Amino acid sequence: MRIEFCGVLQEAVGDEALELSIATPNRVADILEELAERIPALQTHLPRIACAVGDEVIPRSEMVTGDVPLVLLPPVSGG
Amino acid sequence: MERITDQVLDAEILKRETENPACGALIVFEGTVRDHHRGRQVQRMEYTAYKPLAERVLQELEEETKRRFKVAECRITHRVGELAIGEASVVIVVRSAHRGDGFDAAEWAIDTLKQRVPIWKNDFYTDGTRAYQDGVPLSACSSGEHDSAQRGQESHAEQPMRKQD
Repeated sequence: MRIEFCGVLQEAVGDEALELSIATPNRVADILEELAERIPALQTHLPRIACAVGDEVIPRSEMVTGDVPLVLLPPVSGG
Repeated sequence: MERITDQVLDAEILKRETENPACGALIVFEGTVRDHHRGRQVQRMEYTAYKPLAERVLQELEEETKRRFKVAECRITHRVGELAIGEASVVIVVRSAHRGDGFDAAEWAIDTLKQRVPIWKNDFYTDGTRAYQDGVPLSACSSGEHDSAQRGQESHAEQPMRKQD
């Protein structure tokens, strides 16, 4: 499934998005765990990120189908 | 005017959009790019946003501001892309019958925007380095149990902490 990264996460990953080979549907928490194993630079960020699908923030307990990207949002700093 | 835009912000557009003869107060807040951050000299700044969510959160923030402070009008736009020192990154326009409610509403709107809207600042310093500013975690996914940013939940009784940035 497609994972998209925002803000400082793009620097940690080195890209704006990646394709993660993982069974779907799957829990957001499990997807994040898999990501952290593959990309160690993400590990320090994960406790403070939020996740979104489309225009909705979703909890880590939610199942996602992988039909649309899972978007990872670091702490926000607008204004 | 879109709420998230890469175009130069124009408060006059929002003022025209919110004209209301029942209002005796017009509050305009503009956030502008500063030339320093925590003791370092900033040359320019880049803002990025997760637009699908940011647009919706800003629209909800406008509506909540109107309800919470009983002000007639509230419009907010935020710029993305590369901004020079002094350029406006955010414009908030509030119109209210009386000035007190308008001042309170505008202040709450900018404080809350900084906590809820998925936008990020990347500072470009005069020494050639750059760094994303640390921010406020959106509450939802960090705990995994609840989500104050989810659609339909608007019980934001707490006042956001006022920050210096």
